[in-house]
This record gives sequence, structure tokens and C-alpha cells, in this order.
Amino acid sequence: MRILIVEDDREAASYIRKGLRESGHVADHAADGEEGLEMARAADYDVLVVDRMMPRMDGLTMVNSLRKDEDRTPVLILSALGEVDDRVEGLKAGGDDYLVKPYAFAELLARVEALARRRDPETVRTKLVVGDLEMDLLARTVVRNGEEILLQPREFRLLEFLMKHSGQVVTRTMLLEKVWDYHFDPQTNVIDVHISRLRSKIDKPYPRALLHTVRGAGYRLQA
Amino acid sequence: MARRSTAFLRTTAFRQTLLSAALFALSSFVTLGFVYAASAGMMLRRADAAINEEVEVLDQRFQAGGIATVNRYILQRTVGGGADYLYLLIHPSGRTLSGNLSGLPNVQPDAEGRLQFTYRRPLASGGADESEKDDRTARGQITELPSGYRLFVGLDVHEETRLVSRMLNTILAASALALALGVAAGIFVSRRFVRRLDRINNVARRVRAGDLQPRAPRTYSGDELDELSENFNNMLDRVEALMLRMRHTGDSIAHDLRTPLTRMRNRLDEALREDGDLEAREQALERAVADTDELLGIFNAILSLSRLEAGESRASIVRLDPADIAGDLAELYEPVCEDEGLAFDSEIQSGLTMLGDRGLVSQALANILDNAVKYTPSGGAVTLRLRETGDGMIEFSVTDTGPGVPESDRDRVVQRFVRLDNSRTLPGSGLGLSLVQAITDVHNGRFELGEGPGVVADGHGPGLRAALVFPKAPAETE
Repeated sequence: MRILIVEDDREAASYIRKGLRESGHVADHAADGEEGLEMARAADYDVLVVDRMMPRMDGLTMVNSLRKDEDRTPVLILSALGEVDDRVEGLKAGGDDYLVKPYAFAELLARVEALARRRDPETVRTKLVVGDLEMDLLARTVVRNGEEILLQPREFRLLEFLMKHSGQVVTRTMLLEKVWDYHFDPQTNVIDVHISRLRSKIDKPYPRALLHTVRGAGYRLQA
Repeated sequence: MARRSTAFLRTTAFRQTLLSAALFALSSFVTLGFVYAASAGMMLRRADAAINEEVEVLDQRFQAGGIATVNRYILQRTVGGGADYLYLLIHPSGRTLSGNLSGLPNVQPDAEGRLQFTYRRPLASGGADESEKDDRTARGQITELPSGYRLFVGLDVHEETRLVSRMLNTILAASALALALGVAAGIFVSRRFVRRLDRINNVARRVRAGDLQPRAPRTYSGDELDELSENFNNMLDRVEALMLRMRHTGDSIAHDLRTPLTRMRNRLDEALREDGDLEAREQALERAVADTDELLGIFNAILSLSRLEAGESRASIVRLDPADIAGDLAELYEPVCEDEGLAFDSEIQSGLTMLGDRGLVSQALANILDNAVKYTPSGGAVTLRLRETGDGMIEFSVTDTGPGVPESDRDRVVQRFVRLDNSRTLPGSGLGLSLVQAITDVHNGRFELGEGPGVVADGHGPGLRAALVFPKAPAETE
């Protein structure tokens, strides 16, 4: 994947770049919004990682300009807490996801990879398949190995999100945000408990596990 | 000191008082001046009218009997000195024929031909007491009679003019007195004003110098200065509370961050020394990262809290159904409780509406649910309730069968970084309940801590009841 990091803090930028390269991606760096806009227009990137507060041109203005040019490249906006970190404002400007600093690199990577996946032609999928696990989004049914699995509504949404991002790491925070729409971190391991419940329904009775824990990062559903 | 003693001269109060004193003096001067002009004029007009009448009488005598009759009339009138009028009949040669005046007054007549002059009463005419020697004021007019005789008829207006001039003096004196009193009042009022302001200024100076104790004196009269003092004091109370909290927070941050930082440092140190054992090294590093996350979590909580408390929250208040919030969180925490060996139960009343920020209210409720899960021993029970209270409020409550919080500590646990001794060993920043308090404040609600269900069978208890109370949304107007 080719990723552009637009970030005025060089140290932070090189940390992200190094991490992305180690994960097998190509990462370029622009030091401010104007440079970022030029580079984003010149080359075809899979994902843009854009810091919100930058000299010369701030991140929101840059994303706004791109969107006016009909550039739909997915954008992850970074913002330091304590700055105006209004998620709604960031998303309104054309950002696709929003991450508050400080963050763990695993969190950033997971979100960048999830965004890149979004770029696939947005066909309306009615069926998700991972290995022998199948989800029918219309009938709201889940079947594994031919047997129907009964899920609670929230478990269904949790599994749906995991299946849509199968093969990718999904962090606890992402799950809280996307499945529960909570933007705070509970003290207790609520997500782990829900994952383990889901696991006991979709994995336990079967010889091969699909839902894996990725240490220090989150979870991955993979056949 | 010289500057201080005249400081009142520059005060607004002094200037205002001076201005109004001057205006008052001027207006009384004008009013009395009008009275003066009217009454002085009236007195002279009356004198002139009397003179005219007498001239008329003499004229009739002249018509009837010629100059001899006039002369006789004057002689009769002036004999004995008791005459009301002043007369003088002068022969064309200039010789005085009759009259009680020593000679024609040597003054220019005014526009109406009247003469006003001073004269001395002739000593011969009688009682020569001291006052009679004085110059007296009189008015009169000269009538030219045919064949060259000249007749002067006048009237003594001494008393009248004295009255008038005394009146004028009184008016001037009264105006001057009004001005003087006004100035004195101005000085008095502004001195008082300056003294009271000085006290407030002194307080401000001392506060600026770093002493937050002094307060502006109150008179409780409810006047502007008292109101200023009150506002000033309220402001100081708030500043003092914020300063105290800041100082406390600063100390607490230093204290609370030292432990995880030391732990992290030790782990990193340990990782450095584990050169042979790669796995142990990795574990140490992972734990150090976890410590860092904990620290960052504390910082994030401090920042969110500060912004909420400073009123800069980006709360987006909308109408929402509290049953949705409670339902979602019940669903989120129910399995957690089950995992911890706790019985979870929820009673959620539907059909309520409140104004709030879903994220913030959920976070507050999640915080107290977190605490219930954290502090309730296995085998206990956690209950989430949503109901409308008797006084029409919306109440989310979480009841557990844990150790509870002693009544004496309930106010304290809401403060930042306060952790009761028995919770020090559990993870947590000591900011959770402060955040809950800040969130209920933003919603004009309250956060209440009370006793739980009491001591339960296994000796645990008495439990804690934590409640978030919010006002109901007003009925929609559309």
C-alpha cells in the first residue's frame, strides 16, 4: 500500500513511516498541508494520514481542497487531545476516520489498513464469507459449516465488522467506536468479554479458530 | 500622602456632587433673582403710581386755583414735617416757593422721566435722631407747570429699596451657601467613596501580591459599591477554589504519576539488563508500554476533565431517550459482570426524554458501572436502574454489593485523584468520579453517592448506590 503522511512533527512522521514500512507499506512524508496537497495530487495514494494542526495549511483545509477536486482517497485525521478535536468537524471536512494523539502505532496501522480496504469498489454486499463462516446481511443469519449460529443483535454487528475487515487487525478502540459508537475507553475489558462470548459461539464448537487475538493490538478474523 | 489626601478631588463622585451643587446654586440664584426682580419692580411701580396720583391731585388744584392754590396745598401738607410726599414748588426764577425738600435732585431722569436720588431729611422738620441724618432714597418726578413754575412730587422709598437690597444680599448669600454646602457634601461623599474604593483596591493589591485570604468589606446596604464588593469577593472565592484545586491537582499528578513512572523505569531498566533472554526482554518492554498507556490514559482523563470543568466541552446536547443509553450499557456490561461472577440486573423505564450528550452521559454511566464491577467481590450483584424520580428527574443508578463508600468519604471521592486506601491496589486514576461529576454538572444534573442494599449474606457490603440525576427535557413546543 502507498501511504502519504502529512505531519509537521518530523519525529512523529518518521516514527509512523518506519512502522508502516516495517508492515510492508510504502510511506511518503509531507511536512505541511500545502506540500501534502501537492503530493496527494501528484501521486496516487491508497490512504492519507493527515495531522490536524499544521503550519501554512492545516489538515482540515487540505482535506477539504482534495474533496473539492473529487479526490476520494481515504483520509485518517490525527489530532492531539486538548486541541479542538471535534470528531464531527473532522469528519465533516472529509476525513474518513479520526484518531486522537497519543495513540499506539498498532491502532494507527489497523485504522490505515481498514481505510485502504474501504477503497474497494463500494458494491453493496449482501453476503460476507470468511472460510466456512457465512453471514447473510439481508436475512441477518450466520452459518458456519452449514449450521446456523444464533447471535444477539450486537454480536451480529460485532461479527459483521470483523468479517468486513477480515484478515486485518481490528483494535478494541475501533470496535468500541464502530460497533458501539462509544468514543471513550472503559476501564474494564468490556470488549474482550464480548469477543470471548462471540468466540464461544462461532469458534468453540469447531476445530479451526477464525477469531484470533493479536497481542498488543487487538483481534483479527481470518480463515 | 499629599497625593492621597487630594485623591478625592479626582473622583467621579466628587465631580458629580460639585456639578450638581453648582447647578443647584445657579438654579436657586435664578429663581430668587426672578422673585427679586418681580417684587422690587412691583414696589417701585406702586411708588410711581402714588406719585402719579398726587401729581394728578396737584394738577387739579392748579386747574382750579392756579399756582397759589398749589402753593397753599403744599404748605398745608408739609407743615409740621409729617407729609407722606416730598414736594418742591419752584418759581421760574429758581427760588423755592414751598416744599419739604432742600433742592431739586441733581440726577438724570430715567426713560419714564422718574428721578431716583438720595436726600437728607431737613433737620428743622423735627425729630433729629441719628437715623434721620442718613441719606435716604426717594423717587419722584418734575412737572413743568405753565408760566415757568416747576413742581416736584416725590416719595420716600428708603425702606423699600433697603428691603430690596437686603433681599438681593440674601439671595447672593443663599446661593453662595448652597454652593459651599454642595462642595462640602461632595468632599464628604467622595471621601467616603474613595475610602471604600481604597479598601477594595487594597484587597486587590494584596491578592495580586499573592495573598488570597483578604476580602472586600461588605456593608450589606445593597448599593453599587457593596454589590461590587460582593462580586469581587465571589470572584476571589472562585479564584481561590480553582487555585486550591490546581495546587491539589498538581501535587496529586506528581504523586500519582511517580508510581507508574518509577515502575516503567524499572521495567525498561530490567529490559536493558536482560541481554540473553529475548523473551523476558520483550515481556518487560510490553509491560513498559502498558504502563505508558496507563499514564497516557491518566493524562487524557485530566485533559477531558479540565475541558469539561472549564466549560469548553464540546458537548452536543440533543433530546435523547435515556432508556437507549441504559440499555446499550446494560448490554455492554452484563457479560462483564457475568465473567466476574456478579449477578447483573437492569430495570429500565422507557418513555423518558432528557437533553444530553449521548457520549458523555454514556461515559459517566460506564464509569460508575466500571467501578461497580471493579469493587464488588465475586458472588455479589450489580443493578442498573433507570427511572423517573418522585420530583420529576431522570435517574440512572448503579447499585452494587461491594464495600461501599463511608459517608464521611463520599464528598471526597469525587475530588480529583482521591482514592480511598482500600482501592489503591486496584488499577485506576482516581479521576473517574471527578469526570462523572463534571459530566453531570455540564448537564445541570447531580451525582449522588449513597448506601447500597446493605450487608449481604456473605458478609460483604454495605454496597454503594451511585446515581446520575438529570432534569427531564421540557415538552417539545412544536
